Amino acid sequence: MKPVVILVGADKGGVGKTTIARTLLDYLAARNTSARAFDSEFPRGALKRFHPNVTEIVDLETAADQIKVIDTLSSSDVKVSVVDVRAGLLLDTLKTFAEVGFFDLVNAGEFNFILFHVLGPSIASLEEIAEIRPYNDGRDYLLVKNFINETSFFEWNPELRKRYSKLAKEAVEVTITKLNEMAFEHAELAGVPFSAFVANKTMDGQPANNSLVLRGYVRSWMNQVTSEYDRIGLIDRLSDRGVTSRAA
Amino acid sequence: MVTSLHGRAGKTLLARALVDYFILSGGRLYIFDTDAVERGLHVLFPSAAHVVDLAIVRDQMALFDTLANPSSEMRVVDVAHHSLTKFFELLRNTDFILEAQSHDIIPVIFYIPDGKADSFEAGIVLRDGFPDCRFIVVENDFFKEPKRNVREGSAYKELRAHKQRFVMPKLVEGVVDALEDRNLSISDFMRQPILSSGETLVPSRLPDIPDIGVELRGWVFRIFQEIHRVITGLAPNDGHPNPITGA
Repeated sequence: MKPVVILVGADKGGVGKTTIARTLLDYLAARNTSARAFDSEFPRGALKRFHPNVTEIVDLETAADQIKVIDTLSSSDVKVSVVDVRAGLLLDTLKTFAEVGFFDLVNAGEFNFILFHVLGPSIASLEEIAEIRPYNDGRDYLLVKNFINETSFFEWNPELRKRYSKLAKEAVEVTITKLNEMAFEHAELAGVPFSAFVANKTMDGQPANNSLVLRGYVRSWMNQVTSEYDRIGLIDRLSDRGVTSRAA
Repeated sequence: MVTSLHGRAGKTLLARALVDYFILSGGRLYIFDTDAVERGLHVLFPSAAHVVDLAIVRDQMALFDTLANPSSEMRVVDVAHHSLTKFFELLRNTDFILEAQSHDIIPVIFYIPDGKADSFEAGIVLRDGFPDCRFIVVENDFFKEPKRNVREGSAYKELRAHKQRFVMPKLVEGVVDALEDRNLSISDFMRQPILSSGETLVPSRLPDIPDIGVELRGWVFRIFQEIHRVITGLAPNDGHPNPITGA
């Protein structure tokens, strides 16, 4: 399998980008696909707390760390790299990757590239889609609507809805339903992957003391997320097998 | 879990009898009332019964996390008819039954059909939806025999044929009045000595009806006998000892 980079980014914070990255790591593990992760919330990290063994904290604004990510793509045994891009840095990160020739290598068939663009409900998101599109010509561009806080995504404004539909034409929409806040908070506090929270285990596999009810909420939510990732054929997209459905 | 599709089916009365039976058995118990408005069971056991509003996540946790807790208490839940759907949705989504069974907790549904067709249909849906729960059909003869079209329905026939049953003893008017007193504790009443006349020391709060003490005691004996029969008949599925009888 070719090395593949999954970039998870957003134009602003608070849209659930790290949450999405966490679900990706759980999903890939459940599908027996080894993955490593780069957490660009330098220096403290956000993702690393939940998946410490597979996550490295990087500062993608420095050349050294850009090299660390890209240069190790071919050499690493682990073929899938999930990059949790710092909020607001998505466009800059894409520009940087372009500058160092990453996209040339993708076009040459050396690597695969999938972009999870986690949307916010504001107009700024729309503008970002417009700017990001050129980087995603012909590649897997996944627009993620993460329904935290009962957000609505442009549905209420016909003008914005039209703009969004046009921009999103070649993208694939991924819908993540709302997870109950208390369940999310407890899962966060537990500091373990969602799958471990549901299994009621601590990070080192010991029995934990999580609420049965909250575990149920997280389990149902993870089932919904899993069916979405199944529906878009994420595993096939990793190895380029979903080529014909790029515009789906 | 004491359940019915409609209100006024006798749920709280049955739940109350179960609680008093377990109190007299000397056990500790968890008591939950899911009717946040009427609080019928809570009114009868104000210090022991917890009211939970299933619309609130924190209350859902108080209920189901406790019910699944590995400990030896008996657990009685009065499932308000208007929270029936929500209760079983949560039961399913939390995978409660699996967790309960892993802690040797036996889930039992007492279902009280009334005379209406949908009440029989709901009973079948419940029974079939949770095959890992013991399901006991409660006969409450307060309800007249349903209309013929209902009796000809498959749901009615299936529930009538269901083997595990619980028969609520007939209630005469004096006993109904006595039981309506929220300050009457059945377990306290049953602990009172019986006089040679067969009467108990009649607390002044009992209705002024001849032999009311005898009638009430008789009713309680009958319902306790029925509870005992049903509870001791709940054989665990997996060879573990029955937590009540130790067998």
